[in-house]
Amino acid sequence: MTEYFEVIERDGPARIGRLRLATPVATPALVDEVIEDAGSLWPTERDAPDGDDESLTILPHRAFPAGTASEVQSAFAVEPDSVSFPSATVISRETASDYNTDAYVLSEASGIVGNARAFVETIVDVRASIPDDTGLFCSGVATAANAAVLAYAGIDCFDTHRAYLRGLEGFYQTTDGEMFLEDLSELPCACAACQQSREAFGPEDCAAHNVNALRASLATVREKIRAGTLRSYIEGQARHEAWLTATFRRLDQQYGYLEERTPLVRTAEILASSDDTMRRVEIQRFADRVCSRYRNRFDQPLVLVPCSARKPYSSSQSHGQFHEAINYRAHTVSMTSPIGVVPPELEYTYPAQQYDSVVTGRWSESEIEFVANVLKRYLERNDYPRHIAHVPPGGYQEICERVEARTDVEFEFTVTEHPTTDDALETLSETLSGESTFRKREREHNTVRAIADYQFGAGAGDELFGPISVDGYLPGLRVHDDGGEQLATIVPQYGTLSFTLAGAQRWNESDVPTNRVEIDPFVPQGSVLAPGITSASESIRVGDEVFVEGEKAIAVGRAKMHGTAMENSSRGIAVEVRHVEER
Amino acid sequence: MSTPDPDVYEQGRGMDAHNQVMRRIRAQNQQSYDPHEPTRVWLDEDNTPDGVRQSLTIILNTGGCRWARAGGCTMCGYVAESVDGGSVSHEALITQIEACLDHEAEQTDTPAELVKIYTSGSFLDEREVPARTRRAIAETFSDRERLVVESLPDFVDDDALADCMHSGLAVDVAIGLETATDRIRHDCVNKYFDFSAFEAASETAVKNGAGIKAYLLMKPPFLSEEEAINDMIRSVERCSEYAHTVSMNPTNVQRYTMVEEIYHDGGYRPPWLWSVATVLEATADADAIVVSDPVGHGSDRGPHNCGECDEHVQIAIKDFNRRQDPSVFEEVSCDCERIHAGVRKRETSYNQPLIR
Repeated sequence: MTEYFEVIERDGPARIGRLRLATPVATPALVDEVIEDAGSLWPTERDAPDGDDESLTILPHRAFPAGTASEVQSAFAVEPDSVSFPSATVISRETASDYNTDAYVLSEASGIVGNARAFVETIVDVRASIPDDTGLFCSGVATAANAAVLAYAGIDCFDTHRAYLRGLEGFYQTTDGEMFLEDLSELPCACAACQQSREAFGPEDCAAHNVNALRASLATVREKIRAGTLRSYIEGQARHEAWLTATFRRLDQQYGYLEERTPLVRTAEILASSDDTMRRVEIQRFADRVCSRYRNRFDQPLVLVPCSARKPYSSSQSHGQFHEAINYRAHTVSMTSPIGVVPPELEYTYPAQQYDSVVTGRWSESEIEFVANVLKRYLERNDYPRHIAHVPPGGYQEICERVEARTDVEFEFTVTEHPTTDDALETLSETLSGESTFRKREREHNTVRAIADYQFGAGAGDELFGPISVDGYLPGLRVHDDGGEQLATIVPQYGTLSFTLAGAQRWNESDVPTNRVEIDPFVPQGSVLAPGITSASESIRVGDEVFVEGEKAIAVGRAKMHGTAMENSSRGIAVEVRHVEER
Repeated sequence: MSTPDPDVYEQGRGMDAHNQVMRRIRAQNQQSYDPHEPTRVWLDEDNTPDGVRQSLTIILNTGGCRWARAGGCTMCGYVAESVDGGSVSHEALITQIEACLDHEAEQTDTPAELVKIYTSGSFLDEREVPARTRRAIAETFSDRERLVVESLPDFVDDDALADCMHSGLAVDVAIGLETATDRIRHDCVNKYFDFSAFEAASETAVKNGAGIKAYLLMKPPFLSEEEAINDMIRSVERCSEYAHTVSMNPTNVQRYTMVEEIYHDGGYRPPWLWSVATVLEATADADAIVVSDPVGHGSDRGPHNCGECDEHVQIAIKDFNRRQDPSVFEEVSCDCERIHAGVRKRETSYNQPLIR
């Protein structure tokens, strides 16, 4: 049971937590001042601590530093007694497990910080072994520079020891790394400790500054988590230290760990300013779902067009011109770095509306290869009578040529200079002469089904809805069954579907994999809290639609934690309920 | 009181685990040694109950410690199975002693008054050094003033002592007590005996007219810097009731040991030289000669400070060894003392090492 720690918000593996002491602490944070260490059992036996709600008591421990042999760990491991005050257990990667405490102290921390591989493997392992709604404390490791990446990896609690002692050693720390104090001509900081002349600034001041810088860094991290932009932040900030960059890249290779914790939708924009952005879960997930879940339902030819800076694309001037030239005679799919290909039905769907990239017209090899791979997979799954590439020379055409070389597809190219010149638009229009047109209604139905495919699984658009009618205006469509009962709405902001209770029941009864949450016999009001949950599908991600079922009620809502966290948490809001019905 | 066979002590989960790991680590060591050569020999000077004396120190190659073969101490890298077959003959041991005498004769005209014989095991263990060899060696050095021989407490008995003392030498038994805290000796060092065995061995030695020199180990794995300092202060105080000399030595990272494995993965730092100084200063009033010989001082694998002051602090320690005057430490200072103070305050077993 976690009693004194709660996760409030999530941004990938990073979380805003609350250490629920007499004076609560918002994490990720420094916890020096609230820690009571009941002591090590290596030198002596210890009395059971009394504990109190003012502090987080570290229960008597035998810590295993990095490099301790596993035989020794299993022989000497201590299982702490259950206590009723806020408590933490000292664990190692090997002994990590649920010991019924609010937080866990990782004993190898100082040994693995600085070693990206050991660090990532250890944190991923430990997080899988302790309940999601418990705090992870790494003592003696945090600095202004590494705090963001450590928090991003999933660590909640830190202390000042390393920052302070490095200061005494003469290292001046900032969010972009460490400098020798003696090399500094001036103090590049405005904190209280730095409000003095360079000459008067000594090691004690440097230690105080380092702690201030770390404190500020953690406040920044908390704000980034709340804004859902921590990943974008570290892509820039971590670059100052090799091991930090290596750490978030290695975390990208732990795709399962990140994916499980990454929300389906966000309000924050993604700025694609480096190749690392391409490896973000949001980007990979979109590309993967487009290539494995989405299916084109139009009969018309394919026209590939370049993306636009303005989102959604259809609201941009260039796409307005393409639309005029195409005039419902083709399926207009946008090519873009870094998210790959975007069919028009999914142009509202996160992150297609929420990304921005740095446009120079110069494509990197990895961008070209990434988009070419996505386009190839897309075309292997979707057949078109004709393939028209209305894209400018350079990166876009290079991608099409690579795909031609790797598939049977042959593109008709309609642009020689720029896709919005009169010449090019006329060529595009002429190329499509004689092609049939689709109707607005068809486009609306296909959008609903395409989003369902994307959100719930391949084939879901047909399986879930059958014959439907829609009303409203794109993207804010309402979906009804043939009897007129409303099943779902498209949320314009995220381009996702949210169900009515009737729609959710249909989902539950269909063959489409359902995100199910089973609850104790009660009628949820507004939200379902984690302790009320008896089981939850592992597939649930933050932001997903979930069907809630219990003896007393059924409900539909949106997930606030991932499925595993719902199952092993004892605190926190798990589902925000939209509709509920007593039974 | 301990029984005289360390092999039976390989019991209990913690000890099993330590021994298992140490055997695995030691098995990686492929080196082998010539039984006709001593492991090491050197000349130095030492503070003895009779005053500072020239000393001849001999590390005798006896095939190694019986306890180390079972697994042994977590920090001890002295070879366990250094010779084929595991035992060294009387003739070979005598050849080693002769080589040491030759070495001494090459270095100096005046033979050392003090002779110290270590085996990385037990000179009083019949299996390592047979009685007739012990007698022959004591005979060889009968013209000296004092003989120090290393032994586990189990082997300290009337007969073994008599073998060493028959030639009229003052004899001290050097016992690797490591710490007066049984829990730390067992769980961190993995040494099987209890403090009571040390007490008993001391009584036997005193009864036979021999002295006790206690060896202590500062900062075995799993202890923070502050825990290590406190353990040593307590230990020096406790064992000076039994030993006329206490040698308090900081751990160094030896090859093929558990300490090395932990050090390699970033979980261990040898103690600060300031910590050694702290203990010597704090125990200056103890009723024994307290000395320390930091091996590998100033290096990453040995006790060290910031790199600037290591040599000065080492010299102060050596000076203290001779004069037993704590004011020697007032003569050395460095900016890193405040870092050491910070580490003492902030390091715990779950965040060590805070500073490398």
